Amino acid sequence: MASSDWLDVRGWTESFIGWSMDKTHDVLPSEDIDLEFSITRPRWFLEEPIVIGSEINIQSGFAEIQPSLEAFFVSTIMCTVVFATMMLTLMVVPYIERKFIGRLMDRIGATTSLRSLWIGEGPSTAGDWWNKLPMGMGVPIGMVNKSLNSVLGNSHHLETIDRVGNRGYHGIWFLFPGFFQALADFLKFATKEHLIPEKADKLVFEVAPVIIIATTIMCYAFIPFGPHIWAANPDLSLLFLMAIFGVAPLGVFFAGWASNNKYTLIGGMRSAAQLTAYEIPLLITVLSIAVISGSFNILEIVDFQIETSDTWNLFILPLGAVLFLITMIAEVERIPFDMPEAEAELVEGWWTEYGGIRWGLMFAVEMMRAYAACILFAMFFLGGWEFPFQDTLSGIPVIGTLVDLIPGIAVVLIKAWLLFAFFVWVRASLHRIRTDQILEFGWRYLLPLSILNLAIAMYLRLEVWTGTSWPIWVPPVITILGIILFVIYAIDEDKDALEYSRRPYNTQTLDKAYPGSRRD
Amino acid sequence: MAEMWISMGPQHPMTHGLWTLKVKVDGETVVDTEPDLGYIHRGVEKICESRDFTQITTYCDRLCYASANTWSHAYIYAAEDLLGVEVPERAEYIRLVAVEIQRIASHLMWLGAYGPDIGNLSVMVWCLREREMMMDLLQELGGSRMHYNFPRIGGVKRDLPHGFALRARHKLNLFLDRIQEYESLFDESTVFLIRSQGVGYAKPEEMINHGVSGPNIRAAGVNHDIRNSHPYSVYSELDWEPAVERSSIKGADCYDRYRIRVEEMRQSANLVLQALDKIPGGAETYHEPGDPKIIGKAPTRAPEGTSGSHHFEDSRGESMFYIAGGGDGRGKMPYRVSIRSPMFITIPYASKCMIGYKVADIPAIMGSFDPCIGETDR
Repeated sequence: MASSDWLDVRGWTESFIGWSMDKTHDVLPSEDIDLEFSITRPRWFLEEPIVIGSEINIQSGFAEIQPSLEAFFVSTIMCTVVFATMMLTLMVVPYIERKFIGRLMDRIGATTSLRSLWIGEGPSTAGDWWNKLPMGMGVPIGMVNKSLNSVLGNSHHLETIDRVGNRGYHGIWFLFPGFFQALADFLKFATKEHLIPEKADKLVFEVAPVIIIATTIMCYAFIPFGPHIWAANPDLSLLFLMAIFGVAPLGVFFAGWASNNKYTLIGGMRSAAQLTAYEIPLLITVLSIAVISGSFNILEIVDFQIETSDTWNLFILPLGAVLFLITMIAEVERIPFDMPEAEAELVEGWWTEYGGIRWGLMFAVEMMRAYAACILFAMFFLGGWEFPFQDTLSGIPVIGTLVDLIPGIAVVLIKAWLLFAFFVWVRASLHRIRTDQILEFGWRYLLPLSILNLAIAMYLRLEVWTGTSWPIWVPPVITILGIILFVIYAIDEDKDALEYSRRPYNTQTLDKAYPGSRRD
Repeated sequence: MAEMWISMGPQHPMTHGLWTLKVKVDGETVVDTEPDLGYIHRGVEKICESRDFTQITTYCDRLCYASANTWSHAYIYAAEDLLGVEVPERAEYIRLVAVEIQRIASHLMWLGAYGPDIGNLSVMVWCLREREMMMDLLQELGGSRMHYNFPRIGGVKRDLPHGFALRARHKLNLFLDRIQEYESLFDESTVFLIRSQGVGYAKPEEMINHGVSGPNIRAAGVNHDIRNSHPYSVYSELDWEPAVERSSIKGADCYDRYRIRVEEMRQSANLVLQALDKIPGGAETYHEPGDPKIIGKAPTRAPEGTSGSHHFEDSRGESMFYIAGGGDGRGKMPYRVSIRSPMFITIPYASKCMIGYKVADIPAIMGSFDPCIGETDR
């Protein structure tokens, strides 16, 4: 797959730079230029004449530096391309953040909310869209949806939504209403005054955002958007990436301390405390990916899934996927792990004293980190730029051609955006946990589980891996096992245990309340 | 880490109003607290001394933005006690409907504010939408959205409008369904349970000593509801019992206080539904304003030496008005009005409940007591 993607930006850049360099090489004069001249002095001073300069050839001299020049131009262009891609596609992220959570709060359900991202948000478009299909084609869809909702979904009483009205109409932007709100917000931040608290440590106060923003943007040097869209690809790109990803919490701690504010101080302390709890499980989980793929290089990890093993890592390491997701949510400080910026008790935590463009940039950086986490999950567990069942689909005559026409970057981005929608879903459903609770959660659950996951990965790689592929039974067995364990975990609400372990003296309050229940 | 004082307020997300909670923290642990009230003292009691008895109702509406109807009713009952007014039974039923719908709206406002206190914003939007339904019902009764000015001395301003019972039944039944959605977001979420259980214990005996009342004390297992123990209005004619939580021997924690309010919302909805069925003359009949079926005759003057008071079960506890007659204009105005605010008593106690818990528990504990600063500062 890595080779069959037609959107070969890197190859095009390389060949264009190579071609222009060759042309430059050719137009340079090919004959030797004699720049030699000698200075003669009286014999009594110096016997030999001094020879300055030499006979040079511009063309061959250019040929010597041509490879490094080419590499310089190619990497400059690719850095620009990756940065532009990141910034442009990042605009979708706050859009999802706002829109998806807004529709979830409208109680129209997760699937309808997700659909409202691309077909508008009014009750008529986000509601019974299947009735709009011609010739009654959508009737079976509606029936299936209704039956599914009656069993699994919440019943949708939409009259309060209708009362608020159809907010989906925003002039001609019926497709993406509110898409450019993030841009408007950013412009507003850019025009604001820069204030430094009088008693803040001014140097550290100014340096901390630079640390946070710069390290986060540096992460994207190692994050590929497609098989041929990446800025740098060292052999140990995974290590580089995780090392740089972990620098930003240090900047958060600096910022919290330097603002000289009690709320920011507590926020920074919380960030530092939280760091120890999730960073170690995260790194061990990442190590398990390196073990299972046999490489520390992100491109090779993806190629391992697409070409070598032909199975996404999700189906080999489901536990690792869950751990990676949880620790990444903690790493990017989103609900339920956003104690450093808990607005209920710490106003805005370590952000409190920042304003204007620094605040705006740090907010953008928070989005970037969440976005990077989503892309990395897609790389490590969802096969990167492989379209689902691409190998199978490629064999079918017409569909195969069409599927192969989808560029890898589109697949990566859609996977990442859907994962970000999952992050938002988590944010809409969960509360914020306490600092001591995340420490306990990290040390008592995440760390042992991540070591177990590493052991599973080592066993699979050493004992089960045949050297060229997984045995045919491995992915289905592991997937089914994972689903079974998840279902057991999800439905296993041992209320007695909850009651007795957490509330030793309480006997009644965990009872499911029912209409008219009376307790006296 | 050294101990330090943090001044949470007057503008702080935790406060739910305008007041300051000074917290002494040792790292993340709360060592000491000190509430500082009085930022929005408006002198309602003093204003009332220069208004006649009908004018005072509007001021009582403004005591609490979340629960206006209960406060004006609290005043009206005290004024009726002072003036010796006989209230028609139909008016009492209509008042019960108005007060209980207001109680649901107030508890929804509380639940909606409690979600962001512990980090979930979606519950706020959910609750405010249901509150919107309740406000629509109250608007049909009183004509405005927040400050209804609905009760009158001797009855109510207007009868139930046409179709009110139909819409109220529909919306309340819908609301009873939707309470289960809150429970699915709160009770079935382990994160909420670990945030609210075992946090902010309030002992019943301490609460009785401090004078805490209402849902906060019923959460600790004390069966004290004025509507039940000293019934006024027509509460004794309806089939209900106060919701009382059976809490642990350590007292009521935040989870108990959450549960009791959800139960109370259920109960209030059932009370309204019952009252709509039992209302004399039927809920569908309509009397013009001023009809003796909905408003009785009331004197306008209270002679010197008379006094009236009434204990009222507000959404936040036991509110009381004491009115002494014989003020200006030969008794046209009260000589003195005194208001007992349940939250003025609860907030200092709630501040003490936080000692020993973490900083992150401050909004969780304070929010669970449902503070309302309008009535606290009066």
